[in-house]
Amino acid sequence: MSALILQSLYSGLLTGGYYALIALGLALVFSTVKIINLAHGEMVLLAAYMAYVMENSFATNPVVAMPLALVIASLIAVIIYFLISRIKKHRELNSLILTYGIGIILTNAILITWSADIHSTSNEAMQKPITIGPFSSMTSELIFLGVSMLMVAALWWWLTRSWYGRAVRAVSSNRDAAKLMGINPQNTELVAFIVAGILASFAGVALYCTGVIQPSLGTALTTKAFIITVLAGIGSIPGVLIGSVLIGVAESLTVTLYSSAIQELTGMVLFLLVLFVLPNGLFGQTRRRG
Amino acid sequence: MKLRHSIPIILVVLYGVVPLLLQHNNYIMSILVASLTIAGIALAWSLLGNLGGMVSFGHAAFFGVGSYTSAILTMKMGVPVFPAILFGGIGAAIASIAVLPALRLAGPYFALAILAYANIFRILATEFTSLTGGAGGLLGIPLFPELFGFNFGSKLGSYLIITSIVLIFAVIYRMIRTSYHGFALLAMIEGEDSTRVVGVNSTFLKAMMLFLSAFMTGIIGAFNAHYINFLEPDYAFSGVWTMIPIVAAIFGGYRTLTGPIIGAIVVYTVDQLIFKALIPSGHQIILGALLTLMILFAPDGLIPLFSKKLSWARRVKENRSPQTGHIC
Repeated sequence: MSALILQSLYSGLLTGGYYALIALGLALVFSTVKIINLAHGEMVLLAAYMAYVMENSFATNPVVAMPLALVIASLIAVIIYFLISRIKKHRELNSLILTYGIGIILTNAILITWSADIHSTSNEAMQKPITIGPFSSMTSELIFLGVSMLMVAALWWWLTRSWYGRAVRAVSSNRDAAKLMGINPQNTELVAFIVAGILASFAGVALYCTGVIQPSLGTALTTKAFIITVLAGIGSIPGVLIGSVLIGVAESLTVTLYSSAIQELTGMVLFLLVLFVLPNGLFGQTRRRG
Repeated sequence: MKLRHSIPIILVVLYGVVPLLLQHNNYIMSILVASLTIAGIALAWSLLGNLGGMVSFGHAAFFGVGSYTSAILTMKMGVPVFPAILFGGIGAAIASIAVLPALRLAGPYFALAILAYANIFRILATEFTSLTGGAGGLLGIPLFPELFGFNFGSKLGSYLIITSIVLIFAVIYRMIRTSYHGFALLAMIEGEDSTRVVGVNSTFLKAMMLFLSAFMTGIIGAFNAHYINFLEPDYAFSGVWTMIPIVAAIFGGYRTLTGPIIGAIVVYTVDQLIFKALIPSGHQIILGALLTLMILFAPDGLIPLFSKKLSWARRVKENRSPQTGHIC
C-alpha cells in the first residue's frame, strides 16, 4: 500500500509539472495585465492539435510541431490582446465575456476542423516506460516535468532580470508612472500576451504527448489553470509550480485512494477552500481586496 | 410608458395569436418552447448581471440542480408536477448558498468560482448514482398533467406554461428594479463603497439577487425536465445552458428587461434554423463570433442601440432640441 501511495505521489508530481505549463501563461497575463484570458485553455488545445497534425500527417515526432505551435499560439495571443485593447468600458468584466466568446469560437473551430474524436500520441519514444528506482512513468512525462521547471525558471528570470520583464511588472504596478519612464504600456502588455502564447504552445505539445485531446477540453484546461493561479497567489511564479504539484498530487492520491471519477472534484474543492480561507493564495502578496 | 401601452398587444399575441396560428406546427412550437426556456435563463442571468453586478459562467449549475430536484421529487416521492417545479427552484436557490462565500470576491473571481461550482454539481450528479441514476440518466420523468380539462403535457400546454413563467419572471424583475432596493442595487454597481456608507447592506442585497437568479434558473430547469422527460448529468449541467443565455442577454442588452427575452428568441431561432443548417457540427462558432462582436461594438446590446437611434430620430423630427441630438 505504501508503495502504491509513493508511486501516486510521484505521478502526481509529474502531472503537476505539465499542469504548471498550462497555468503559467494564464498566471502571467492575470498578474500583469489583470485580465483572465478565458480562451487560454483553447490556445493550449490548439497547440496540442498542431502536434497531432504533425504526427498524423507527416509521421514525425510530435515535438517537431513546436515551431508551428509557437507561431499559432502566439498569433492567437496577439489577436486576443488586440481585441481586448479595443474594449472601451468596464474592461475587467467585458474582457471576461470577450475571451469567453473567443474560447467558444476556437472550440468550435477545432470541432469543425478535426471533428469530435479523441486523439493521443502513438509515438513510441514518448510512451516508453521509464523507471527511476521504485517509480515508473512515461518518458514524455519526465521530459515535460523538466521542460516545465525550465520554463518556470526562465519566466522568473525574464520577469525579474530582463528589461522587458521588468517593464511588464512596472506597467502592472503603475501604468502612468511606467509611461513617464519611457515604457510603452501597449507594447509591454502585448509582449506579456505573446509570452503567454509561447508558454501555451509548450503546454499544448506536452498535453498531446502525455494525455488525450478532444475539442471540448478547452474549458477544463482554463478552469484548471485558473485554479492553480488562485492556489499559487497572484504574482507568484514559483508558486504556480508548487500549486500545480499540489493539485497534481491531490488528484492522483484521490484516484489511488477513492476513484478516478471524483479526480476533478478534489482540485475544485481545494480551490474553493483556498479561495475562501486564503483569498491571496498560498504565495501571493498580501493585498486587500473588495 | 411605451411598454405599458403595448402590454395588452403582447399578451394577445402570446396567448392568442401564436397558439392559434402555430399550434399544429410541432417543429415551430418546439423551437418556440426551447427559445423561451433560454429566455428564462437569460432573464435570470441578466438579473444577476444587471442588478447584482456579477457575471456568472455557471448558471448551468442552477439549471441542472432545479431539473434534478423536480425530477427526483416527482419520480421517487410522488410529488405532483407543478409543486415539484416550485421545489426545483427552491432546490437551486439552496444550492446557490454554496456559492455565497464567492460574493465577497471581486468580479472575475466570482465568475470563475461559479464556473468551478457548475463542474462540481455535474460530477456529483454523475456520482450519486442511487439518487440521480448516474451517467445513465433518468428516464420517464412525468409529463405535465391534465388540469381543468386541458392537457398541459401537449406542445401547446408546454408553450403556455413556459410563456407564463417567463412573463412572471419579467414582472418580478421589473418590480424589483423599480423598487427602493432596485435603486440601491443599481447605485451599488456605480460605487459599492459609497452605497455602503449611506446604509445599504450590499452583501445582503447581492445575496438576495443570487438566490432569486438561482431560483428562477432552477424553475426553468425543472420545467425543461418535465418537458423533455429525460435527464442525464452531461445534458442537465451542459455548458450550453450557460452559453446561449449569455449570448442572448448580451445580444439583446442585459441591462434592459426586454433585451434578454427578445435576444433569446432571435438568437436561438436563428441558430437552430439557419446556423445549424449551415454548419451541422460546430455551429456555435457563430454564437461565439456574435458574442465577441457585440462586446467590441455594442456592449450594451441591440435593444438600447435601437431605442437610442429611435429617440434620436424622433427628436430630430420634432426639432425640439437639436443640440442634444448629437450628444447621445
